[in-house]
Amino acid sequence: MAGSALRRLMAEYKQLTMDPPEGIAAGPISEDNFFEWEALIAGPEGTCFEGGVFPARLVFPPDYPLSPPKMKFTCDMFHPNIFADGRVCISILHAPGDDPMGYELSAERWSPVQSVEKILLSVVSMLAEPNDESGANVDAAIMWRERREEFNRIAQRLVRKTLGLPT
Amino acid sequence: MQLLISSVCMALTSAVIGNAYYQKQQFYPAVVYITKSNASMAVIYIQFFVIVFMFGKLLRKIFLGTLRAAEFEHLLERFWYALTETCLAFTVFRDDFNPRFVALFTVLLFLKSFHWLAEERVDFMERSPVLGWLFHIRVGSLLTMLGILDYVLLMHAYNSTLVRGPTVQLVFGFEYAILLTVIASTAIKYVLHAAEMRTDTPWENKAVFLLYTELVIGLIKVILYLLFVIIMAKIYALPMFVFRPMFFTIRNFRKALNDVIMSRRAIRNMNTLYPDATPEELRQSDNICIICREDMVNHSKKLPCGHIFHTTCLRSWFQRQQTCPTCRLNILRAPALPRAAEEPVNAAAAPAAAAAQTGVAAAVNVAANTLPGAAAAAATDARLPQANGNAGRNPIFLPNFAELFGNANNIPNALSNPPPAMLPPFMSQPPFAYFTPPIGPPPPMPSDLTRFSDAELLAMEGTQRKHIEERLKMLRNTMLMLDSASILMQQYQGLMARLPPPTIPLPTAAGTAAATATTAADVPTVEPTAAAAASVYDTAASTSRAAAAAAEATAQQISVTATNSKTEQVTIEDLGAEEDDLPSTEAASLDVETEDSSELSELRKRRLKFLEERNKSPNSSDTTD
Repeated sequence: MAGSALRRLMAEYKQLTMDPPEGIAAGPISEDNFFEWEALIAGPEGTCFEGGVFPARLVFPPDYPLSPPKMKFTCDMFHPNIFADGRVCISILHAPGDDPMGYELSAERWSPVQSVEKILLSVVSMLAEPNDESGANVDAAIMWRERREEFNRIAQRLVRKTLGLPT
Repeated sequence: MQLLISSVCMALTSAVIGNAYYQKQQFYPAVVYITKSNASMAVIYIQFFVIVFMFGKLLRKIFLGTLRAAEFEHLLERFWYALTETCLAFTVFRDDFNPRFVALFTVLLFLKSFHWLAEERVDFMERSPVLGWLFHIRVGSLLTMLGILDYVLLMHAYNSTLVRGPTVQLVFGFEYAILLTVIASTAIKYVLHAAEMRTDTPWENKAVFLLYTELVIGLIKVILYLLFVIIMAKIYALPMFVFRPMFFTIRNFRKALNDVIMSRRAIRNMNTLYPDATPEELRQSDNICIICREDMVNHSKKLPCGHIFHTTCLRSWFQRQQTCPTCRLNILRAPALPRAAEEPVNAAAAPAAAAAQTGVAAAVNVAANTLPGAAAAAATDARLPQANGNAGRNPIFLPNFAELFGNANNIPNALSNPPPAMLPPFMSQPPFAYFTPPIGPPPPMPSDLTRFSDAELLAMEGTQRKHIEERLKMLRNTMLMLDSASILMQQYQGLMARLPPPTIPLPTAAGTAAATATTAADVPTVEPTAAAAASVYDTAASTSRAAAAAAEATAQQISVTATNSKTEQVTIEDLGAEEDDLPSTEAASLDVETEDSSELSELRKRRLKFLEERNKSPNSSDTTD
């Protein structure tokens, strides 16, 4: 019998493969390490990220699901809640007790009932509706709030970039 | 790159040796020549390190195979730290600095690297999906070999210290002792992991064993470090180079200690406070532990909020957080209430419960002290759990409820037996739950916050203590209002979620409702969200009279309690929107009312029977402290 974290990740992988949510694909990078996943997230329709397919990497701690995984986009991203290096800053990925931005409710935090699927769905909704109060990328937050057209243009350029089209 | 360096090194060495032979022609003079020449010695030293490195690679290939990226990264990081510490150690022993000394430190570093790698490998066991027999052979032989080497070197250092007095061998002895503890803990972990792998079911106590191993090994390490620092400080100087590892060891030990304490507390709570989930409860839920996503066949626990998990999953979660993973109910504070509610209801118990409730309420609510009428409210509240415990038996409770119900929407009150109010006594967050009477005096409301008189404003201006106190008081009032509003909302939602869904045949539904009245747990699909509550509300209102009655009771209660707080006005508006479609459903259900009321009396009878049985049978949770 393997460790509980591994069994849970296998179960989640199976579930995600059998019944994948729309616009999301995720799975381990290699079958002999279930603690590093790659995810592909389609930009939500009707937003400036529509049409893009954004690759991200999820790294799970050994004590998953008691601790949240870390998520990082591996493509260029420009978004108020994504750090310049691609790390995603949403409350579901923060364990209760550590609050980097100092505003999150504990009800939105990580708990073992959360899952990869819920994380990715939260990220999709984060792409659709940025939270400009959490300043993971302050430039993006200000631009999103004040110069929406410019923000949309940058987002569209990123979308084209992820698709390998000329920008 | 590595190949290039080693071949260049090889070439240089051959050149140096060849040159010496060419010049001296004989073995002994050639050796003397090389040792006298600094450049030649430098080349020889470098060659020595290259050989050590290559030997290390060979051993790694034999015992570990290829390293994972993470392993390599960790190794490199620790290696650099160890190297700087070694350099620091050189400063203490600069007097005995010689090639032998350097060689000994190289061996130490070399062995240390393999200890780290072995540790990583064993830690990775739990996370790797497939492990062949090769893995076990490799790890087994590596651990044995390292253990023997550590022991031999420790003994050597010990003997040499005994013979020659304290020298640099003291440091080596100590380092190998530490490495021996590392090997011991790694071996224990390996055995535990391997034992778990052999079984087909998860080994529940493994986590506990691991915790205690960590604790004991941590303690031994801390003692070793302290001894070493004391001895070193006495003989030489304060050993700066062990401070970093010592700091980490002490931190790990503290963490292990904390984990053990938390784990013990979690186990104790689990064994005493929370009941085992019965097979029926497991059948009613979807039978999957949402923490590990596996079936719950046995060893499951039910929390006061009704959520069911594996005992082991809960235990490891409670080591970190004392909340329900699903609804985040604080489980350390919640258990007080269910027990109060479950106590056998009789005249003697009631005053005691009331006293306890008042005590708790007074203790937890600071704001209560500043507000008039709070004590009265608390006293009334104290009756609530007890009233819920035997709802339907309490005659005082019923007229009020009927009155409320009649007033709610000016509809004819045709119910001769109004349904017992199923107000959740502990669904809501702890402290303020006591402060929301379903009937009776509304929560104490502070004065109007929308307007301030000049005197009030003046009292809050300024920086003196009394001004600050005034401001704090205002904030507390606001907090109290917000809390009472949210509790009302929670009670409303709890009520809605608790109502039996219409699709289930009524007898079972009534049975379920009776069971939930005191434990607030068994209802399937209890989801404390507004959406869920609303959906249940809609379906229930169309068919069940009880639903309408209960909903109106809550609505009425909110309109009674809400006075001048803006937050609460919003709540009322929200409810009002839902209430709009009520009259029609009520009109429609008027003709089936007589039937419904008989069903309700049936429900009451069932509940009474349930409570009587309950009081007769000894309750396990009554024995808790």
